[in-house]
Amino acid sequence: MADKEKRRAGVTSPAMSGDKASKADSDREFLTQMGVGELLLGAILKMVEARSEDPIGFLADHFCNLSSVADSSGAGGGGAGGDEEQREQQHLNRALWHLRLAHHSHRSAFSNNVRVAYDLLNHSDPHGRSSDAAEGSGGSCTRPPTAARDGGGVRGGVYTQALQCLCSEGGVPADTSAPLLHRLHCLDHEAVPFDVFRQGVLTCAVFSDYIRQAQKLYAEVCSPEEGPASLALCQSVLGSLKDALETSQGCLTNCSVNANTNVHPCLVSNVKAIRYLEASVKVSPHQLSQAMAAAQTRGPAGHMDAKEFENAAAELFITHVKVVS
Amino acid sequence: SRMNRLTGAVPAEQYLADTNVLFYLSDAVTQLLEHKVEYTQFGVIRFFAEYFSSVKNSNHVLFREFSYITATPHNRASFVRVFWRCYRQIGKSGELLSALEYRSLLQLLCPDFPVEVVQNAARIVVMGDALDCLMSFSDFLCAFQLQFFYQEFLDALLQIYQDLLAGKSPNTVIVPTSASVEQLLSAAADDTEREKQQTDGGVDACTLAQCVDALCDRIKHRYHPSRSCMREILQQSPRICYHSFLMSLAKDESINQSIGALPCKAELLIDPEMDQELDKLIAQISVSPGSNSSGSAVGALKEVQRKASPRRNIHHRRKMEVESDGSTEETDSSEN
Repeated sequence: MADKEKRRAGVTSPAMSGDKASKADSDREFLTQMGVGELLLGAILKMVEARSEDPIGFLADHFCNLSSVADSSGAGGGGAGGDEEQREQQHLNRALWHLRLAHHSHRSAFSNNVRVAYDLLNHSDPHGRSSDAAEGSGGSCTRPPTAARDGGGVRGGVYTQALQCLCSEGGVPADTSAPLLHRLHCLDHEAVPFDVFRQGVLTCAVFSDYIRQAQKLYAEVCSPEEGPASLALCQSVLGSLKDALETSQGCLTNCSVNANTNVHPCLVSNVKAIRYLEASVKVSPHQLSQAMAAAQTRGPAGHMDAKEFENAAAELFITHVKVVS
Repeated sequence: SRMNRLTGAVPAEQYLADTNVLFYLSDAVTQLLEHKVEYTQFGVIRFFAEYFSSVKNSNHVLFREFSYITATPHNRASFVRVFWRCYRQIGKSGELLSALEYRSLLQLLCPDFPVEVVQNAARIVVMGDALDCLMSFSDFLCAFQLQFFYQEFLDALLQIYQDLLAGKSPNTVIVPTSASVEQLLSAAADDTEREKQQTDGGVDACTLAQCVDALCDRIKHRYHPSRSCMREILQQSPRICYHSFLMSLAKDESINQSIGALPCKAELLIDPEMDQELDKLIAQISVSPGSNSSGSAVGALKEVQRKASPRRNIHHRRKMEVESDGSTEETDSSEN
């Protein structure tokens, strides 16, 4: 114990006498030699950037990922020609890991991570050692866009697979996400440019959040001891949701019109913000409870189960997603 | 925190201060420096991966010093959980142990575990100072969790309670001049006398509730039981004594949940996986004629311990080799 205290002190305070000082020196030398400073700095920066709600879990994942990167680039040297499929899977896993790092509401962190993921998948040829090295150093946030580095773009198959994984990890059942993926889908041989990739990833991330909220919403409407929720209530809630989605969507189309006519960007974002506020008022607890109260007295009879509700909510969202290509 | 995320307003320093992550990083570096040679071979990145994985799944407190296992709420909860997982078989067997025996079990997990915490926990279960009084595992566990997790709060609470018993206003600040210290000492001596007479009578629950509220204002919220729980307990009768207040806290399900280390009381002893494991073991023992350890708590214990820490990392293993005194031999042999 006492010994430990001594060492801890040795790490923090530089000026000390004789034995302790040399111990502190050798400790510092060791840390420098092993690159511990950069390693931890990289980890802390990543963590702060993501503002993870579970920082310990975040660091555990972060270091596990780094060590698997180190392992695979070390072991991969032997049989490079061997298992390309397995390599591709590894790249996909790593890309997904980056995409999970930050919630999409942290827009700049999220965009950085999308870029890193895109580059990883874009370079997933069997000799793409360069992307391993860049990622391993943890310096992703300062990297310039590299879309032109090998021209191609991510293959459509990989892109679609990544979106599927994102949705299922986000807790969305496969049959609920299928119609969305159908709209975002690219053909296997197509090269997906960064913008399309980013849009697809973002849409899936938002969709996963949306479906989780919809599931919670159903749980609120439904009281478990009475079986499935009443059809009237569900329809009124879905109606409010539809209304809100259309309001915010209206904002998007309006804005693109405005943007074309060279309106000041600040004004555009103000209009956007106002539409979002209007939309959120439509799903505010007060408005919802009014709608539900009205529905309870004069709505259709019958019930709606959780799955039906989820599908209906998903459909509201998906009709607003543009078909890719 | 969702709000924070949307506004993006938490400064980095604030974010880091709200978590204990810097504490763990500095401990990890200290550990690394203590075992330089091994970890150079093992790989520094892998070391950090192992370290934070074990913090995440609560195995990091195994065999660490007392100051470490009490350093953060997560460490405290982890230790309670580890204690429960390692020894719940004792609870299943229905065996009753004394405070000193529980202390020995705790010391297998944390070599410098102080006797005072165990004593205080035992006092919650049984009134008075009987260290040799026998307790069931689940009774002890509930009391231990409360005592261990909220030790600073309970110390302050006891002080307040004794002041109230002595008829003093507990929130008055006493400037420690030599005269007042003497007064205080003689008052304390009086207290113990009076306490003996008044223990059963307790204090006015309403006054205690006010004092508890003021105490909570001074303590970080993770380090005291929820105010509403305490208020509820204190509203149940006009007068309350310290012991029964602590009993109620120890048995309170919502406090148990907010600590988050243990399942609800009904499920404390349910563990089908361990049962299977033990059945297998017992079957083996009954086959081999040379064995004489069947049915003893110690025999079961070894197995339980082996089971409880499947992911023990090399640091822990090393630690046991170094500190191979009597208490760790037990766990050492379970390695094989």
